[in-house]
Amino acid sequence: MQLGFLVDLHLCMGCKGCEIACKVENEVPLSTWRLRVKYVDVGTFPETKRTFTPLRCNHCENAPCERICPVSALHYLENGIVNIDKERCIGCSGCVMACPYGAIYIDPLTQTADKCTYCAHRVASSMMPACVVACPVQANIFGDLDDPTSNISKYIQVHQGGVQVRKPEKGTNPHHYYVGGGNATLNPLASHRVDGHSLFTKITTLPVGGHH
Amino acid sequence: MAAHEILAATNAVVTLDVALPGIVWPWLVTVNMWAKSIGTGVIFMLFILLRTHPESVKNLRFLTAAVAFVFINIFLLFTLADLHQPLRMWHIFFHSHMTSSITVGAWMATIFLGLLTLLAFFGFKKNDTAYDKLLLWVTLLAIPVTLYTAGLMAQCTARELWQMPTESAQMILAALLAGSATMILMGGNKLSYEAKQSLGVILGLSALMAFIIYMSEYIFGPMKAEEVAAILEYIKGDGPYTVMFWLGQWMTFILPMLLIVLSRTSKSESILKLAAVLALVGLAIVKHVWLIIPQLLPMS
Repeated sequence: MQLGFLVDLHLCMGCKGCEIACKVENEVPLSTWRLRVKYVDVGTFPETKRTFTPLRCNHCENAPCERICPVSALHYLENGIVNIDKERCIGCSGCVMACPYGAIYIDPLTQTADKCTYCAHRVASSMMPACVVACPVQANIFGDLDDPTSNISKYIQVHQGGVQVRKPEKGTNPHHYYVGGGNATLNPLASHRVDGHSLFTKITTLPVGGHH
Repeated sequence: MAAHEILAATNAVVTLDVALPGIVWPWLVTVNMWAKSIGTGVIFMLFILLRTHPESVKNLRFLTAAVAFVFINIFLLFTLADLHQPLRMWHIFFHSHMTSSITVGAWMATIFLGLLTLLAFFGFKKNDTAYDKLLLWVTLLAIPVTLYTAGLMAQCTARELWQMPTESAQMILAALLAGSATMILMGGNKLSYEAKQSLGVILGLSALMAFIIYMSEYIFGPMKAEEVAAILEYIKGDGPYTVMFWLGQWMTFILPMLLIVLSRTSKSESILKLAAVLALVGLAIVKHVWLIIPQLLPMS
């Protein structure tokens, strides 16, 4: 079994339902995200369009985070998920630095590395990841890549030419795919990042624990 | 050269993304590399001087081992301080994952520290025969100990500025530069002028070679990968680290090279010591800039 994810960006409308579901399911602290939706505005007024790209751990076949982890806190499960053992993590941040997708962070509450696990605890109970359940348009497709009859395999077969992964040149072989992506959405260096021109800029400065 | 062409036709602007993780490996890691360069570098220098100027350096055996011991402890202390869970450090030894440069480095540094302790003991007891036999093995182990950080940086996928061939050369050169500079300063009256001049040559040549590698990456790096081009933008033009980068290059490499030439023509030890101080201080700046700028790159 090789579990994988596919996001159809044609369908995603940026509602952030997946982001919230993930936060709730996994008790992700303020100021950190296992899954987030990036907005990229494309075009010049009045011909503009907003694109939405859900970003999470790519569960690479050749995962740099697993390789650099000194204590095997990051490890592969038999179903292909790159899982993390927070009790074993020493917080060296090597995985944060090694991940080419910026998908790993240091949990400010536990002071250990954390990331999307494809909801491994739910999958172990034969449930879908929380983000898949929450998506109102079924843009998140999850399943077994080794099973040609699974939804994800069928989707890949139908959209063959349009299936992409992020940074394929890094040789990580991600098990996270996109349909309908473009350079502006999948390549972080293909879009401007202007200080002070982001929506909800102050969300990044919320203190952990907040003010009650 | 532009880091990446953002097409006018798309005019793509990120309007919402979470905060970048920021600086994950801070100045603590800079101190780690700086102290390790000194700790391993003085061992290299002692090994060379015992063969080229044995009479001059014979009274520096204990002092060198003690200085290496102190700086390797500083290196390990700052490595520990950089961990978010320092009390779990023992996991490295009991749950070792040997594909990680961190694990390999931790094991080697621990063995290196053990051997250094023994070396200092032999030096204190003035048992030169045992000391010199052990020094060979300590010197050999110092090579991978000083190199492992290059492996760690090379394992950081997408931080394309850090390539193993260049980083390993830079780590060895940093050890030679820091070791020779430290030896010049701590040699005092015990070290002959000729021995100090030899150390000056090592310092000058390692500065020259390191400078050539940095300039090669500065000029030609952007032609190889868009990540390198984007990262080097932070030290070009009005980049946030431009001043610090060039301050480091001048202090560590250019000025020491000039001062060493001047010290040889004027036979001045004071100028040589000034070159050594500049190189040691500058090395921390150079290492810091090279550590920080790849971390500024957006990964998402």
